Amino acid sequence: MVRFKSRYLLCEVCVPDRSSLQLLEDRSIYNTLRAAVKRAHGDYGSALFNIGVIVKYLNAHTGVVLIRSRKKHYRLIWSALSFITCLENRGQMVQCFLNCLHVGGTIRTCQKFLVKYNRQQLHRMLPDCKTDAEKQEVRRAILSCSLSNVRDEEADEDGSDDDDDDDKET
Amino acid sequence: MTGAKDRMREKKMKNQPRNVIYTSSGRGAGRGQGSQACGWVRGHQPGGHGYSQDLPKYITASYFAKARAAEVNAMLKAVSKPAGSCHIFNALPKHMRRRAMSHNTKRLPIRLQEGAQRLAERSQRAPEKEKKQLPRSRSRRARRRHGNLLLEFNRRQRKNKWLETHIWHAKRFHMQKTWSYCLPLKPTAKSFRASYRAMNTHALLQDLSYFCCLELQGSEEQMLRALARLTSKQAGPTFAAASCLSGARQGSVHLYKADQFPQGSLGPADFLWRPRVPEASDRQLWIWIHPALKQDALSELQLVCQCSEAVSVSEESPAAVELPAGRKRKRDEDDAEQPSERLLGDGTRPPGAPVRWQSPDTGITISDLTMEIVRYRLIGPLAHVVLTDTLQPASEEPCSGVSLHQQQTDIFQLLRGVCSTAELPAGCVLGLTVDDPRLTLPQKRGKSVPDLQQSAEDDRVRDLTLKGVAAHCSQSALWDTSARERVTHSRLSEQELNRMRSELLVPGSRLSAARQAAVPLLLVHQGGRVRGEERLHWGSGWDLLLPKGWGMAFWVPLVYRGVRVGGLHMSVKHSQLMGKPHFPHDYPDCPAGVRFQSEQEAELLEKFKRRPPSKRTNYIKHGCLAPFRCPWQQLTEEWEELVNLSAETASCCRTGPSDFTVLRSLKALRQLSAWSRPSSRRNSSPLTHATAAALQQECGPSLVWVRLRLLGKGQPALHAMVCVPTTSDLQLLLKDAHSSGPQEPRHKDHLKHLRQHKTGPEEPARAVRGVCPAPLPSVLSHCSRLTLGWVTQGDFSLAAGCGEALAFISVSGLLHTILQQPQEQRGLVLLRNPSSLQYRFAHISIDV
Repeated sequence: MVRFKSRYLLCEVCVPDRSSLQLLEDRSIYNTLRAAVKRAHGDYGSALFNIGVIVKYLNAHTGVVLIRSRKKHYRLIWSALSFITCLENRGQMVQCFLNCLHVGGTIRTCQKFLVKYNRQQLHRMLPDCKTDAEKQEVRRAILSCSLSNVRDEEADEDGSDDDDDDDKET
Repeated sequence: MTGAKDRMREKKMKNQPRNVIYTSSGRGAGRGQGSQACGWVRGHQPGGHGYSQDLPKYITASYFAKARAAEVNAMLKAVSKPAGSCHIFNALPKHMRRRAMSHNTKRLPIRLQEGAQRLAERSQRAPEKEKKQLPRSRSRRARRRHGNLLLEFNRRQRKNKWLETHIWHAKRFHMQKTWSYCLPLKPTAKSFRASYRAMNTHALLQDLSYFCCLELQGSEEQMLRALARLTSKQAGPTFAAASCLSGARQGSVHLYKADQFPQGSLGPADFLWRPRVPEASDRQLWIWIHPALKQDALSELQLVCQCSEAVSVSEESPAAVELPAGRKRKRDEDDAEQPSERLLGDGTRPPGAPVRWQSPDTGITISDLTMEIVRYRLIGPLAHVVLTDTLQPASEEPCSGVSLHQQQTDIFQLLRGVCSTAELPAGCVLGLTVDDPRLTLPQKRGKSVPDLQQSAEDDRVRDLTLKGVAAHCSQSALWDTSARERVTHSRLSEQELNRMRSELLVPGSRLSAARQAAVPLLLVHQGGRVRGEERLHWGSGWDLLLPKGWGMAFWVPLVYRGVRVGGLHMSVKHSQLMGKPHFPHDYPDCPAGVRFQSEQEAELLEKFKRRPPSKRTNYIKHGCLAPFRCPWQQLTEEWEELVNLSAETASCCRTGPSDFTVLRSLKALRQLSAWSRPSSRRNSSPLTHATAAALQQECGPSLVWVRLRLLGKGQPALHAMVCVPTTSDLQLLLKDAHSSGPQEPRHKDHLKHLRQHKTGPEEPARAVRGVCPAPLPSVLSHCSRLTLGWVTQGDFSLAAGCGEALAFISVSGLLHTILQQPQEQRGLVLLRNPSSLQYRFAHISIDV
């Protein structure tokens, strides 16, 4: 059975000024990316972009973007990422660059990677904290997302009684 | 199904995190965040400047940490809970999963077998639960049992009233739901010419029980005083006409709003007085009105008679016991249940609606007798033969009025000697008491033929045709409510009748009449065409009035005598061939007529729009401004302006544009009729500018109902234009009597250019292609000939042998036209169909 294979690009939006991050929207990222692909790869690139590219997940607080594209053409999209210098949202330009963290075959692998990455970031933040209050916060955050916490939640809820997951990509 | 697919998808995606963004609605918060997002604002920010307020001033490490932690939690939740998959089968690594694990649990390792078995049980139980929720409908047999069918019919009658003969009609006619009735429209078989022939030579039967009857009771002077406000002597005989007041004749009258003649016309009505009873001083009056008019007329009557208090309330119909679904027949016979009864009378009236109103001052009582009396109409010259065949006067004497019954029977027998129904004077009334006509039902259907033997009582027949029925013979027990109720309840059901038939010794012989089965009824003669000079008395017939419940008992014997049955369509044609305006089609000044016109316009427009745009008639190019709805008000106003009697109108100028009326005053109609004839007979007042102006002043802006007869070819259609011929047209006709008439040059479709230039339909109300948009230009002078009016009924007339049309034209326009025409050619106009460019010559006649 033929299956559509995709690649998920996990990127992070790096801005000099954190506050300007908050204006992020998936549509603005999509449009900026399309413009960049068109600039870099012309008509061929924009046609490919139309087929399989979509922004799957976006977190404005942390600046994490999950872009999905076809397996055949993900390198094209990836290369265009580096040409993005600013994001436009409702008439305001935000200077940024997109840093690709991980390329995964499924959303689940990207999510697993993101979990690991975030934990690493939290651990790295701890020695950099200046005040005590901040340190407390960070410690609390680290504790709250530890594995044991999650396992407790799992045990509480009952397993779903649905049929097996199908082959199609979600 | 989309619904199921969406639900499955939702179930699978419920653990996936959503986008986390700042939006004005604040719905960006992901599912997995829960209590972590305490610092972030949710909900709709009406201020609009949400962004600056939502963000914290400084992005600190704590904020960053919180965001990261929240995201991690969301991801973990998404990752750890596999979407929509059963944890049993997913707990196995891939190399241990087998193909038939679902239904054969032994293929699983033992620790997982229990869970799998539980799953299998649950999936088996699920469809049962769903099935139970569906309502179990009864079997077809149970639904079609007689009692249940009756209940179903009673329920269906709550919205639209059913006539008593509904089921008979429903099997043979196309039905139409209007005026809260379900009425037969036309037969499913092709029978237009056959019905016309029946009206012309034999008899046509119609069920007219949908006409509403309002009964007034009270002293004569009070009633006449009140009713005189609703009519006017100028329009013809009123309620107080001498022949009608005694009860010997039925009269017809035009109702107006109180004291507002000539404005505020409501519609036509027929009325019948009860003959004077020597003892009682109160009199009874029945007014028959069309259901579209009922509410208006009832409120006017209440106003005029000052009856606003409702006296009695309609009783609850016997509550039929609802049979529970699925019960078997045998069990029913054991319980003594009351059989469900068929709903008689008005089913849409809620139990509690007032039926009778009484006035303390004038002592008049108004009762609403809708659907209490069944009315059948027989049209045609042999209608009386059908009646004499079907009805047998009661053999035994009823309790009251022995000699009266004898007299009525004598008159009824005399009817056989009459050659045609048209010989009797219009409107005469005969009361009668008859046996159940089902007893003498013939074995086979036949056609009733006239009795060709000369009757011995020639003198008496001649008396009958000259003078009509005497007033005391019009008395009948039908007028008493108690008598009607008694007769309705004492009717033999079909079941009993059939049982009696089966018990007869000799099959097919006549059944003996039951003791109390004498039905009182009223026979009312309907005059046919009474106005005009051609085909007088065409379309006359008899009306049969019966108490409710006896509808089908009389209908089937009548049908067995070979009459054709007609519906609403045939009654319109009947009025058209008689030259009478049909309510509500031809009453543009009445509120019911206005409503009907807007409904008709909507219907015609709908039909027009259904055709593809390139196959529609382009009415703009044909120069037809009003193919669907005639703007009468605009027409009368423009004619008033044109016939510019500036000197006189300036002195008595009306403050505003008054509403148009339809000219009904007999004197004015006679005058106009005399003037529009071409013959050069010496008239009492010859036509001059002064007399014309005088007449116009008297009438005001009004329309007149005319009949047009085409001189040569042509079939007029609905909303054809009646136009003024120019002098050159008249000369053309003089030269060649068979000329077909002038042609209208094609107009330009100005909207076409607009459509081409505009990029897209930007205007909100898109103009329909081919129809002139709403604010119409000058209706009068749009075409090359001035418009006089429009045709409301037009067709090839089978009776006249040429195209005939019935139209309304403006009075000022008519006077203006005939003033300019030479004497021999007076009354000639042009007629043009909306989808044609050819004018045809036609002759006007005003029937009085």
